[in-house]
Amino acid sequence: MIPDANFGWTSPVGEVVLGATEKEGGTRSRSYQIGGGTTLPFIEKEPKSPSPLIAFEICDDPQYWSPIINDFCGDLVRDPGAWAKTAENTYGADLVRLCLTSTKQRDFSNITTIGKTVETVLSSTTLPLIIEGSNEPKIDSEVFLKCGETGQGERLLLGTAEAGRYRSIAAAALAYNHSIIAQSPIDINLAKQLNILLKEIGVQKDHIVIDPFTGALGYGFEYSYSAMERIRFSALKGDADLAMPMICAPADSLTIKEVREADAKTRDAMAVEWEFATSLAAAVAGSEIVCVRHPGTVKRLKAAFAALKNRTGA
Amino acid sequence: MALKALDIYKLLPKKNCKECGDPTCLTFAMKLAAGKADVDLCPYLDTNAKSVLGATTRPPIKLVKLGVGERSFGIGEEFVLYRHDKTFYHPPGIMFKIKDTQSEEEIMAVTARVRDETLTRVGTDLKFNGVVIVNTSGTVEAYTKAVAAVEKTAGLPEILVSDNPAALTAALSLCGSYHPTLCAATPENFRQMCALAKQHSCRLVIRAPSLEALAQLAKDCVSEGVTNLLLDPAPQTLGDFINRSTAIRQLAITRAVPDLGYPVYLDATGFPDEDAAIALGIVKYASVIVTSPLSLASAKAALTLRQNIYTDPQKPIQMNPGLYKVGTPGKDAPVLMTVNFSLTYFTLQGYIESSRIPCFMLIVDTEGLSVLTSVAAGKLNETLVRDAIKKFGVENEVSHRKLIIPGYSAPLSGRIEEATGWKVLVGPRDAAEIGDYLHEQWKP
Repeated sequence: MIPDANFGWTSPVGEVVLGATEKEGGTRSRSYQIGGGTTLPFIEKEPKSPSPLIAFEICDDPQYWSPIINDFCGDLVRDPGAWAKTAENTYGADLVRLCLTSTKQRDFSNITTIGKTVETVLSSTTLPLIIEGSNEPKIDSEVFLKCGETGQGERLLLGTAEAGRYRSIAAAALAYNHSIIAQSPIDINLAKQLNILLKEIGVQKDHIVIDPFTGALGYGFEYSYSAMERIRFSALKGDADLAMPMICAPADSLTIKEVREADAKTRDAMAVEWEFATSLAAAVAGSEIVCVRHPGTVKRLKAAFAALKNRTGA
Repeated sequence: MALKALDIYKLLPKKNCKECGDPTCLTFAMKLAAGKADVDLCPYLDTNAKSVLGATTRPPIKLVKLGVGERSFGIGEEFVLYRHDKTFYHPPGIMFKIKDTQSEEEIMAVTARVRDETLTRVGTDLKFNGVVIVNTSGTVEAYTKAVAAVEKTAGLPEILVSDNPAALTAALSLCGSYHPTLCAATPENFRQMCALAKQHSCRLVIRAPSLEALAQLAKDCVSEGVTNLLLDPAPQTLGDFINRSTAIRQLAITRAVPDLGYPVYLDATGFPDEDAAIALGIVKYASVIVTSPLSLASAKAALTLRQNIYTDPQKPIQMNPGLYKVGTPGKDAPVLMTVNFSLTYFTLQGYIESSRIPCFMLIVDTEGLSVLTSVAAGKLNETLVRDAIKKFGVENEVSHRKLIIPGYSAPLSGRIEEATGWKVLVGPRDAAEIGDYLHEQWKP
């Protein structure tokens, strides 16, 4: 008789709700409860926790986006609404992550447009949203409040809080009942510290998603992989300040040399392969949300996650 | 139960013959007790002592060597479930599948690709590891032809896959002296496979879909005299693989089921998304991964992921400090200073190359720490920079006296100017912006 592999876990990962349906006070076609894992990813006896979610990232100013994606997606990149709709209906994403890259413009102050863009995306897709806000601390407060207000009732996931820069985003999340992404630079202790800071200003743990920061494959991904494993390990061992779901956003995947300098014939394949391998490994390490930018990655990941959940025999 | 070194010592011949590679029987006993050596290294143990020591003293996962010569590689001998607990030691071999229904040219081309193709990343050459020759035709004749085509192309580690003992016997007459790996022994055919494996000192893949059956089969093969085993838990889905492979690793390293203490074999070619199986195999404990000849994109991603996961997390990869050239820099080329953490070096180097501006990179010794951490820890300081400029003769290489430093080391700029007498320019924080920075800002 082979004994069950014993890992000595004591506690589950905490849960966070993303999105709100009409019944829940929002307008989304579905909401997700993420987290809740009781052991290492994909090895539960009765798979209770859902498959990792795939977020497709779009932006509101493509001059700050990868030319690979701009070429592949064509005119869509100048129409966040249509792009979000395509992400839902054609690419097959579970979530849309809107990156407000327009805030990168020098002296950006057009907060009204931000509100309009969020509104457009909310009305164009029925998927729950992640909104990646300002790139400039000076306008954080206005941008996040505008996003929070526009998405009131929708249980958005707002990004990204960092140590030393979390008050504005936390204020917006608290005021309008959204959740937030808490990012730390590939360090489990800093991740824990930030969660404690957030707790102290009143953000509930079921409103926090940890982003341990994902280095691109070949450029530090191994550190991120281990940080994710360690966070999951700590959560399962009962550390409540790390028992939150995780998000993996390998934003640099498309700017590294292998992808950036691939010739025209292989660069889409290279981009997809890079995002795919990174996201799959991150999900196995414990990420409940993986973010991608190339449309070709979404369906492949979805099929792979389904296959990981599928078990024949004992 | 693990034995203490002194208990083990009592069972050893006490000849201090050094044939195991250790100076005395006692030091060998200590290694055995720590799981760092294999009983088989001692040529004088009687079978009784061997069976007592057996699985309790060898490393929790046996080290198995595939192939002979330059391209041979070791797998197994792993100790942890998480790389951060220590490290993963033996990267999985990625081996390309060849079918004996392919033409001789195709077979030779795939073999030559495994022999020659190299991906150089962060100063390391990454290669595929061998070929897997499948008896798809079912005939002896086609199989021997395929094996002969591989043999005349390269001396690579080989796995011979066939249900037909006659085909394997014929193949072994060609390549038996290179100790190939046979695939696969099952509860039905293991006696015959073990006899073949024993005759040619082959490694043997054993296959069964349940861990019970796999452990029993391992035990049976060992009692037939074949000990260099690989476990194929016969997964039908990715879920099967991650569950069985994780259980095997955990039960082996805790020595809960010593009969599962062998490296894991994964044939990725049968899965709907082969790349998914490869990536999963790399992160979740596969030691041999059989793939089809991979596309450029799949190959790069697989080799890079393998390199990342099998990097020792205890030591950052370091560059030798020095003055490095990008392109052919002249007397008026910019000098960029940064740390000797190899990831920093290669990332920056990549972006400088794309900027097409020839540069000098002055790499200073921060013991492998990144810019941020070395500034915080005080490792990166003005004395270090001053000494590096002297030591590597930067003053003879350029006619100007301007040094570009990383954005994150901006707080040091004043002190570096004072210590070196060079004008310090603070570069961008993000290496990706170095091209724009140089184009806009650099004047000698």
